[in-house]
Amino acid sequence: MAEELSFEEGLNRLERIVQTLEAGGLTLEQAISLFEEGMRLAKICSQRLDAAELKLTQLQAAFETEIQNKGESPC
Amino acid sequence: MRIYSVGEVTGYLKELLEADSMLADLWISGEVSNLSQSAAGHLYFTLKDEAGQLRCVLFHHERLAIQLENGAAVVAHGHISVYEVAGSLQFYVDLVQPEGVGILHLEFERLKAKLEEEGLFDIARKREIPPFPQRIGIVTSPGSAVFHDIINIISRRYPLVELVLSPTPVQGDGAAEGIVQAIEALNQMEGIDLVILARGGGSLEELWPFNEEMVARAIASSKAVVISGVGHDTDFTMADFVADLRAPTPSAAAELAVPHRSELKARILTQQRALVAALKGEISQQGMELDLLASRLKSLTPDVDRYRQRIDERTRVASIRLGSFLALGREKVRSLELELSALSPMATLGRGYAQVQHSATGELVTRVGQVVRGDAIDVRVSDGEFKGRVTGSKKGLQAWLKNFPLKKG
Repeated sequence: MAEELSFEEGLNRLERIVQTLEAGGLTLEQAISLFEEGMRLAKICSQRLDAAELKLTQLQAAFETEIQNKGESPC
Repeated sequence: MRIYSVGEVTGYLKELLEADSMLADLWISGEVSNLSQSAAGHLYFTLKDEAGQLRCVLFHHERLAIQLENGAAVVAHGHISVYEVAGSLQFYVDLVQPEGVGILHLEFERLKAKLEEEGLFDIARKREIPPFPQRIGIVTSPGSAVFHDIINIISRRYPLVELVLSPTPVQGDGAAEGIVQAIEALNQMEGIDLVILARGGGSLEELWPFNEEMVARAIASSKAVVISGVGHDTDFTMADFVADLRAPTPSAAAELAVPHRSELKARILTQQRALVAALKGEISQQGMELDLLASRLKSLTPDVDRYRQRIDERTRVASIRLGSFLALGREKVRSLELELSALSPMATLGRGYAQVQHSATGELVTRVGQVVRGDAIDVRVSDGEFKGRVTGSKKGLQAWLKNFPLKKG
């Protein structure tokens, strides 16, 4: 479940969990399960930062043909 | 052949002149003369040089960068057309700058004023940079140092993104068109949430594509948020003014585009600490509540131990009391026994007395009158009994005294 979250979603969820825990008024079971989820999210987010590798793609240079066309047509 | 009306000719001339792209948008330098202002606020003047002169009109709503006066050397921007009513050729001026400013600067100021008036630079148009972009489009020249810097910076800071290079030349002929198409290509892609428009430093001429109106408009209409990073800190381009965020350099644009990994790690750590603290707090809070409840419960339930102790105590006291009571009782019993034994007929018999029973009636004989001579009697003494007969009787002195109560002299 948590594995499918994006980094941003994971971090947001983590921060919301902390807020909920800090607000109190939970049963001990709820508090502990939130705590565990939060710790898991923190670990996942942290690992994502460590493991990520930049992806790079390049669009077709559409401009080249356009420029050639432009060159042929009188301005 | 045919005969034309004046209006047809002036109209044709007007159409002819206005169809010419060079005459539709040009800068003309010259000296101001015959300056006059109409009641409506329009300015009329002549621009002249050694070779000729042009009638000019500047409508009151157009921008005037300097105070016009006769003899001033200026450069004016506008278009040439025919004023049909007078049948005269006119230069319709929309901007006047002092002479001596380069054409690019003139064009820059003109476009800047125009786009600013349109509201393209308004702060309200600027959008927030997404805090965690996922796909960033880079509009720059492939293989350039700028592009490699951007890759390095982003992969160091926040490698969780996909960079999509939309290649374009960034200077020279066709660069403006290329930039526009590169921006449009990115906007047609799915999921591009940020575009970095970047170019290294250069002369005003080299940076010129970023000042062109079509580039400014492409940035303004971009679906994805745009960060511009063109030239050096001191260079300002139209692209900078229109972009959602202006970075002073391409590297700065890359830095502004993504968060830094170490900051994020610190943020995660902070959250982890907060988690631990919050859970600790929750537990100690609940522990306190539990203590409170426990103490309340204790105060509400009977103190069995106390009662047990009390019972113990009572029992102890009772047993002591009972013990002494028993001892007392035993003593009493003993004294009673003594008393009793003193009273017992057997004991009396032991002292030499005898118990006499009338044999026939079984009555105890306590008075002389109960027997007559010859009566059989049973006599009991301390160790047994024997039988006897009354052989005679005599009332005791006391009886005598009772029967004959005399006054004692």
